[in-house]
Amino acid sequence: MKIGIYFCNCGSNIAEKISSAAVVGAAASFPDHPYVEIVDFICSEEGTLRFEESLKSEQPDRVVVAACSPRDHEATFRRCMANVGMNPYLMQMVNIREQIAWVTEDPAIATEKAISAIRGAVCRVRLQQPLEKKQLEVCPDALVIGAGPAGMKAALSLAEAGRQVTLVERSPFIGGLPVRFEELFPALECAPCMLEPLMGDLLHGNAAGNIELMTLSELVGVTGFYGNFIAKIRQKARHVSLHECIGCGECVEACPAGTRNIFNSNASERKAIDFAFAGVLPNAPFLLEDVCVRSRGDECTACKDACPMGVDVINLEELETVVERTVGSIILATGAGLYDVSKVPGLGMGTFPDVYDALQFERMLSSTGPTGGEIVTAAGNAPSSVAIIHCVGSLDDAHKPYCSGICCQYAFKFNHLITAKLPGTAITHYHRELVVPGKEAHTLFQHAARNKNSILKRYDDIADLAVTRDGDGGLQVSAKGEGTPADMIILCPAVTPAEGAGTLSALLDVSHDSFGFFRELHGRMDAAQSSIKGVYLAGACQEPMDIRTAMLEGMACVGYTLAGLQPGRTIEIEPINAEVDETHCAGCRLCISVCPYRAISFDTEKNASRINAVLCHGCGTCVTACPAGAITGHHFTSAQIMAEMEGVLK
Amino acid sequence: MTAEGIFEPKIIGFLCNWCSYAGADKAGGMQHPYPPNVQVIRVMCSGRVDPQFILSALVKGADGVIILACHPGDCHYKEGNCRALQRHSMLNLMLEQLGVEKERCRLDYVSAGEGDKFNRVIHEMVDTVRALGPLLLTQESCSSDSYDVPNTSVPVP
Repeated sequence: MKIGIYFCNCGSNIAEKISSAAVVGAAASFPDHPYVEIVDFICSEEGTLRFEESLKSEQPDRVVVAACSPRDHEATFRRCMANVGMNPYLMQMVNIREQIAWVTEDPAIATEKAISAIRGAVCRVRLQQPLEKKQLEVCPDALVIGAGPAGMKAALSLAEAGRQVTLVERSPFIGGLPVRFEELFPALECAPCMLEPLMGDLLHGNAAGNIELMTLSELVGVTGFYGNFIAKIRQKARHVSLHECIGCGECVEACPAGTRNIFNSNASERKAIDFAFAGVLPNAPFLLEDVCVRSRGDECTACKDACPMGVDVINLEELETVVERTVGSIILATGAGLYDVSKVPGLGMGTFPDVYDALQFERMLSSTGPTGGEIVTAAGNAPSSVAIIHCVGSLDDAHKPYCSGICCQYAFKFNHLITAKLPGTAITHYHRELVVPGKEAHTLFQHAARNKNSILKRYDDIADLAVTRDGDGGLQVSAKGEGTPADMIILCPAVTPAEGAGTLSALLDVSHDSFGFFRELHGRMDAAQSSIKGVYLAGACQEPMDIRTAMLEGMACVGYTLAGLQPGRTIEIEPINAEVDETHCAGCRLCISVCPYRAISFDTEKNASRINAVLCHGCGTCVTACPAGAITGHHFTSAQIMAEMEGVLK
Repeated sequence: MTAEGIFEPKIIGFLCNWCSYAGADKAGGMQHPYPPNVQVIRVMCSGRVDPQFILSALVKGADGVIILACHPGDCHYKEGNCRALQRHSMLNLMLEQLGVEKERCRLDYVSAGEGDKFNRVIHEMVDTVRALGPLLLTQESCSSDSYDVPNTSVPVP
């Protein structure tokens, strides 16, 4: 085997400490008696040309480059190898600059150490094998789960880029939580108005043809991997055609059955067939099968008969369907939920009708909500005093130890809106900490702080607060015994992941933290990527988040998809990965338990593990774990590592 | 041995590519000298370091082995360093059974920014192994007489 050693002087950086002449002398006794070529700056333009020329004329089988750190120039020299038609993985670098010349005082000792290291590399490179980057055809399309701000932004942007998007939404409408709010922090913008252009484009814009919106739907199964996922989606029957319904509401008028409306926090009535709330998009009602009188055997067709658009719009026989879609990436944008405040005792939730959680109060503020936007107590009066309790369940080791990040801002928004609607209302904020970050949040805070009818009271422990009836039959909040009357009490619960996040996590193998939020691949570097390649995270499914950040995260997921999956382009599979020799695998599955990327599956037919090269990151942990030695870590094989070790010890 | 009769140990250093190898490069950039006794073998992850590599290094003439990994929680591959730690704890028990001082096999954490720490750890390791003297693997040290099962529980990978 012909081996070439290329020794870089790096000007005087290496030459000052390591004698190239001594290396030439020692190389004669190395295995296969390599030739040595001395270059001054092998990474320079001139140096790389000379390197390539020499490779062409010498035609070595293997190459050792003794120069700087491979972290600097391994890619450079691999490219040179490829340029002359050699396999780039037949080259090994020796770091004689950073790790020898620069840190060893005595040139004789530095030279001796460099010779050992180069000997090690020669012994190793003899065992290196040519590796090929494999190409994989991919699907450039995406599945977006959740049609809140983050999901809508992602879906529309991908559609505008020409990608087919399947947008799966569990509820019957799009817009997520904020579309149910009247006004938003920090600038008191009307939420439906702000979201309207985005929702309009999504449903009817130029790119809407690229979006398949599936409401009342959820992901029920996934197979495949990055670039080629097959997603199974279950869609419940809406009984109303989204394409043909004009949203006139004639069917709602005609419907004889009713129930409480969960989308107004059960504070209003709805019909069996009805809109989620006024102004909802898509502008079409949906039928609650268990409320419809047909569920009790009646042959009612009142809604269908009332429909002015014909008999095809409402389909009372419609069944749930399961469809499959092939996608290259999956964007999780399942949003937030609220902590169940009844778990925080003493605050009157569920006991006193005038204790509301923040979402209930948002609906009360909303012109499409149960009171049409009027702030009224359960008895129908305007409150003269309101208590807003922040940090309910947040920053609390007994509940959620984290700060929910958004509550202070909407609490001060409440202050502003209450004062605007009912001037002079006494408002008491009870807070553990105050969090008003960024350049905009201070406005509402300062407004509340300067409101002469407002008081901000800090508490240490939520257990110090108690909501009780006062002597006059009204409510009061007592903080360590000091009572303040309040006709209405608003609790700001900790923000949690939306219900169902755990199921999705299990379906997709995406890891989550102890709070149930999806875990990022890296909290700062790759905060919009999950632990599973090709599954991205946007919005509050990852942590409590405001709309601005959720939208940005949606765009980040779009960036990953557009950059990683391009129509007509394959993805390259890095050949430094692990591979199982099925004939040696004993089927113990230890490798599966140590793989951090879920790249290993078990083939029950062959009784052997199999590594998916697309998902493998090449760490080699499974190689070491395998008791049968059945896994090869390409380019870092045990034989290569042992040979290098023996070489340096000789 | 050097001419002065001071024992110069041979030490193999397994460095993960992302943190500790980068930390060694950082130490190089700082150009503060450290003893030349450690020969570095680069692996992608400390989780790739097979206990067999370590035993083999000791048999083939190394007086000590040092594994340098990313700090816990910082592993480029999420948890390879935890595997390395588990394997290191088990191997240490085995080394003691074989009559090899466990100080000859050290695991430590060096981040890409910790050039200073890398320098210090190398100094410490070389001093430690130098004080222990050459590793003499005799028939006796491998015999079953010295085999004593320690009463310790160790995490299994």
